[in-house]
Amino acid sequence: MAPGLYLHVPFCSSICPYCDFSVMDAASPARQRFASRLAAEVSLAAPAWRDPRPFDTVYFGGGTPSQLAADELAHVLDACRTRLPFEIPAPWIFLEANPEDVTPVACAEWRALGVRTLSLGVQSFSDESLRFLGRRHGGRQARAAVDTALLAGFDTVSLDLIYGLRGQTPEEWRKDLGSAVSLGPQHLSCYQLTIHERTRFGVEAKHGRLSELPEDEQATLFELTHRFLADAGFSAYEVSNFARGPAHQSRHNRKYWDHTPYLGLGPSAHSLAAEAGRPARRWWNERGTPLWEKRVAAGERPVESQEVLGPKELAEEALLLGLRTTAGIDLDGFRARYGVDLLAANDSLVARLMDEGRIVVRADPEGGRFLVPTLSGLAVADGLAAAFDLSLPN
Amino acid sequence: MDHIRNFCIIAHIDHGKSTLADRLIQRCGAVEDRDFRDQILDSMDLERERGITIKANTVTLPYTAKDGKTYELNLIDTPGHVDFSHEVRRSLMSCEGALLVVDASQGVEAQTVANLYLAMEFGLHVVPVINKIDLPSADVDRVMEEIDRDLGLDPFESVQVSAKLGTGIDDLLEAIVQKLPAPKGDPQAPLRALLFDAQYDSYRGAVLLVRLFDGTLNAPTRVRLMHSDAEHKVEEVGCQRLKRVPVPQLSAGEVGYVLAGMKSLAGLAIGDTLTEAERPAAEPVPGYREAKPVVFSSIYPMDTNDYEDLTKALEKLKLNDASLIYEKDSSAALGFGFRCGFLGLLHLDVVQERLEREYDLSLILSAPSVRYRIVLNNDKEVWIDNPTYYPDPGSIKEAYEPYIKATIMTPERYLGTVMELCRERRGVETTYNYLAAGRMEVLSQLPLAEVLFDFYDRLKSITQGYGSFDYEMLDYRLGDMVKVDILVNSEKVDALSQLVHREFSRPRALRYCERLSKKIPRQQFKIAIQGAIGGQIIARTTINPFRKDVTAKCYGGDISRKRKLLEKQKEGKKKMKMVGAVEIPQDAFVAVLRTEDDEDEK
Repeated sequence: MAPGLYLHVPFCSSICPYCDFSVMDAASPARQRFASRLAAEVSLAAPAWRDPRPFDTVYFGGGTPSQLAADELAHVLDACRTRLPFEIPAPWIFLEANPEDVTPVACAEWRALGVRTLSLGVQSFSDESLRFLGRRHGGRQARAAVDTALLAGFDTVSLDLIYGLRGQTPEEWRKDLGSAVSLGPQHLSCYQLTIHERTRFGVEAKHGRLSELPEDEQATLFELTHRFLADAGFSAYEVSNFARGPAHQSRHNRKYWDHTPYLGLGPSAHSLAAEAGRPARRWWNERGTPLWEKRVAAGERPVESQEVLGPKELAEEALLLGLRTTAGIDLDGFRARYGVDLLAANDSLVARLMDEGRIVVRADPEGGRFLVPTLSGLAVADGLAAAFDLSLPN
Repeated sequence: MDHIRNFCIIAHIDHGKSTLADRLIQRCGAVEDRDFRDQILDSMDLERERGITIKANTVTLPYTAKDGKTYELNLIDTPGHVDFSHEVRRSLMSCEGALLVVDASQGVEAQTVANLYLAMEFGLHVVPVINKIDLPSADVDRVMEEIDRDLGLDPFESVQVSAKLGTGIDDLLEAIVQKLPAPKGDPQAPLRALLFDAQYDSYRGAVLLVRLFDGTLNAPTRVRLMHSDAEHKVEEVGCQRLKRVPVPQLSAGEVGYVLAGMKSLAGLAIGDTLTEAERPAAEPVPGYREAKPVVFSSIYPMDTNDYEDLTKALEKLKLNDASLIYEKDSSAALGFGFRCGFLGLLHLDVVQERLEREYDLSLILSAPSVRYRIVLNNDKEVWIDNPTYYPDPGSIKEAYEPYIKATIMTPERYLGTVMELCRERRGVETTYNYLAAGRMEVLSQLPLAEVLFDFYDRLKSITQGYGSFDYEMLDYRLGDMVKVDILVNSEKVDALSQLVHREFSRPRALRYCERLSKKIPRQQFKIAIQGAIGGQIIARTTINPFRKDVTAKCYGGDISRKRKLLEKQKEGKKKMKMVGAVEIPQDAFVAVLRTEDDEDEK
């Protein structure tokens, strides 16, 4: 599969209390220099990217990429197109945007740049939930932004939603989901609230003022999400991702889950290279924007560290990533690549898990066999990955 | 030989034997005051902490008596607990006399009598010593009366001391010289030396402690061990002071050590007789009895990689502890280990603690078991101490279990609860005697198996720590035993099978199930924990599976992080024991197999 290109834009007009991405206040002077610095990193990174296959996806993530002006986005894209192999006529471009940045004019500019999926950081349609999440927009503004985006004619409009908020009942979440579905987006990402240590929520949690929901309630909301969206015509293709038909699945994000190579530029961005005949490698950029910027300015690649992925690491990742997807793990492919027959090496575990309704083994029309998590399996995908024995023939 | 006195000190626990030994050593100047550690003979930490002597040790003291002659006093320390009567016997065989210590406030205890009988069995001359006369509660007149009435000894031969303050120690030393007989023996006769103890020295190998009855012994004589029929060349002989001091020769009547280049610990039987290879004695020293284990348990290393270390540790322990027996054992759940036989519960405890402390091992011990006598339908008789080998119930005609005679001392106010405890534990013919004002002695015939399971802890608990407990083996009686298996998701956890009386099978099984369900982490599927007799389920608990265990986001940077987390988890799982597909942490076994009550169950 063709590789994907990720571009990280760290700036936000305000920092959300739950966010643990590499973010920075948009008022920083670094914001003004950013587009040219990112273009500079493209030049630094391009010679080291040896994969000859053209990129067929470009993803602007953040942060808030909609903080960049259209001409800045164009500047970065031009640099990429000049230095890196791009699919002809054009790769599929994804852009993350905040509702408050979505206007008909902005949408037209993004469309002109070739953006085909607009991913909106809606998070919720409830004013109360939005306040709790520290968002600047309200429910009404969120609805308007979705309408505007849908009218602008993007191939896919995707909404990010967060659930499992303090005190949130299934009814409240169902109402939020209903609002999202009724607006007519083609894609939804529904993330259960995770409290990360080095965030404001993390500090609150440390002092006992905040916590994630109890496991049973989390499970109930998780199952509710999947059932509700299935009824509304959205199929889940990953733990947190739902699309109205396969064409609307995120072609870019799927690359992360099946070891398709990707090049990540900008602070904290991760890359994976897997050229024929060389061991797979993952490397990642400096996380903080100032350090990233300093190194780029000095003419250095801003890589913080890298690791080589041997068969053991790749197999472990294939297991944990595969169990997060509804396509599951291609058992024959797994055995061919890593020499492990997952079913045979875990026969009593597999029997227990099938008994419990966590997994099924499904045959596809071509005769391939897939280890597929059920809904209750997806809900415990991390535990499943840990339970499987991957004793590789070293 | 006239200047030699070989003697030991025997006493009830806490009657001050070790303190008395310390005082004798100090008075004879065998140790500088500044080097003096209290209870110097109890060389193991464990003994020091518990205040009881587990390992017999010995020391030679030079003493110049009032008659102006210098005597060689060989003090042979003896263990103070009934479990170690085997070691006591070996020590007693090496002596001509004994100091019988009686606490001036507690008086004659059951064990004092038992020890006296033991000493008399070996024909020792016994001098009663009334200790702790400094205590305000000391009642010397009453104790002298008890010595006369209960022990049948001459109370006017007794010496009154306070080992703590050093009072009366000079009188006691004179009594040792004057009243205890000198050893007899023929230095010209063929060598007969009793091996009564052995220690392991990491530089010199086996250090043999011997008492010579006949003949002489010096380097480089070739000696033969008469029971094991092995020969060794003597490298060094000497006196066991607080350090080893080489001497040119040991002679009949003397006590000392022998180094004979024995690197291997195997093949040494305590109680064996050394003789000269060239000129062997006709008969070994008589009176040696083999120690019989009554409590059995399998010991497994917590980490299966430590099996080799456990093997070596047991080999070394065996040298110092002839009564420990063991053989290889294995469990599907816990891997390789050893089935061990112990003289009693304390002995088991001591071995476990020594293995853990001195050899730095983490262990899992299976539920202690007694040895059952099973008569099969075909009238064949088998002895079973391991639930694994328990015959099919259909093939059993009769099963017999060992009984003990328990002697429990308790303040009168706890009499009711103690009697109740005995009744709960299937005690029969439970009676009691008034020993003195407010002090009771409860006698009960109890199945040993019921004492193995937290009896002592319960006794301590219901008597607020005042109760003491001692026992001796009685006989085998008809019983109704069943084998209770523990199943995790229908698979038997062999290490948790146990033999119990039918009456207790259900509560015991339930307790195991409950403890296990608290310790096994939840997994991705439901776990049923069951207790069963054969195919019949008698107890059940369930561990519900996870409902939610997945992180919401997994993109570029999350993948490496998630993989590393997974690797860590998998590393942790290697330390778990797999039964079926269920991961059981080792501490679950430890928790289940603990014999004492949980706090929350009280």
